[in-house]
Amino acid sequence: MTGFQVAPEAIAQAEERLRRLTQVLTTRAAIAQTPKQVIWTLNKAKLYRYVPVVSAEKRHRLPLLLVFALMNRPHILDLRPGHSFVEFMIHKGYDVYLLDWGSPGLEDRHLKFDDYTLEYMPRAIRKLKAVSGCEEFSLLGWCIGAILTTAYAALRPDDGLRNLILLTAPLDFSNKDGITFAKWTDKNYFDVEKILAAFGNMPPEMIEYGAKALRPVENYIGNYVRLWDNLDDPHVVEAWHAMHTWVTDNIPMAGATFRQLIVDLYQNNRLMQGTWTLRGERVDVRRIRANLMTVIAEGDHITPSCQSESIHEKAGSRDKELFRIPGGHIGIMAGSGASKQTWPHIDAWLGKRSA
Amino acid sequence: MSDKPESSKPFDPLEAWKNMRDASLEAWAKVMTEAVNTDAYASATGAMLNMSLSASAPFREALQKSMVQALQQMGLPTRADFESLAERMTNLEMRLDDIDAKLDLLTRTRAASSTRRKAKSA
Repeated sequence: MTGFQVAPEAIAQAEERLRRLTQVLTTRAAIAQTPKQVIWTLNKAKLYRYVPVVSAEKRHRLPLLLVFALMNRPHILDLRPGHSFVEFMIHKGYDVYLLDWGSPGLEDRHLKFDDYTLEYMPRAIRKLKAVSGCEEFSLLGWCIGAILTTAYAALRPDDGLRNLILLTAPLDFSNKDGITFAKWTDKNYFDVEKILAAFGNMPPEMIEYGAKALRPVENYIGNYVRLWDNLDDPHVVEAWHAMHTWVTDNIPMAGATFRQLIVDLYQNNRLMQGTWTLRGERVDVRRIRANLMTVIAEGDHITPSCQSESIHEKAGSRDKELFRIPGGHIGIMAGSGASKQTWPHIDAWLGKRSA
Repeated sequence: MSDKPESSKPFDPLEAWKNMRDASLEAWAKVMTEAVNTDAYASATGAMLNMSLSASAPFREALQKSMVQALQQMGLPTRADFESLAERMTNLEMRLDDIDAKLDLLTRTRAASSTRRKAKSA
């Protein structure tokens, strides 16, 4: 009688897959590898300048400042060598700077949008101007970073900002039915004060849960199934590992900023209604004069397109472009198609306006 | 001789299982995405969160109070002491940044005036 036999190659293959799976799930990928220098710091915030690879004569005159969200690390802009927006832009001849907000401690729980927009940003921009030797600059804001850059562009229109790029910008909160986060943070269900009384800042675990729970099956199951199916493909595994490293490295959001995000924006839509004030100054988006490009991800479930469309009509800029692209909130900038669609489009638009 | 065309693949039970799994995941994902986008879900999660925060609040406060007392009795700094120190550090950093800005301005003004002087003498 012959017993059940398993080929030794099958055992070796299964072992290798298990080893690779363990390695990917238990280690952190090397991300944010593009060489950079710290040129300014304040509290936890840092301003980086990426080491240019194009000679000064061939570079675009205007420096580009990247501003990312407050509750995630900005490494997504420089995910991995060969697949990095920062790397792409410096090779295209831009002088690229990144404002990294850092991770707020409990002592920073009183920090507000007011402080980020009117204290940190102007100081970082002053340093950027001093280092680049250029009085004009371009700003790219992504997600919450787009709220900060929009507010800055509206409050300081004469500060040298020539080009403003808004990526998946959550600015308009009027369509409550179309925005799942708006439903969850409705004042009838969500008690922001209770959370802040308990934790001081908004804990990163809750932010991560919120983002993942929008698409629970895809994030908690589908994502891992995709990894399992592709464990033999090193390119897919490498990309998955880098993204997983970034996704699971969230940071807290300063308590007072989170309160403003929920009460002023999600619950009362003050920015688009023109009643949002930062340090006593009203944020009037009609005062934005910079050339404006709004990038909308058509499959974005975190910031649905209805949140980014109206800025295009309301901003006072004469030169405006609305660019719609298939993909999700993060996928349009860090997905496999980003280097073929989003990045070249940003470069083409910005290049013409950076002389 | 077989009636089957030569190009037809043999039945792969694993592939069929995978297709079934993907289809069911897709259907499940659609249902769940719709479910979380409802007022009922928002209300339920909000109620659970409120309940857990309210229930844990007295323990958290008691722990915090006893920790402060213990640290003070041992002559050690509390969290509040560190926070106030951190705030003072940030204020100092801002003052330094103001000085840095003034130095930058002075350097630029000096450089510009020396360029003007050189241009005049030439």
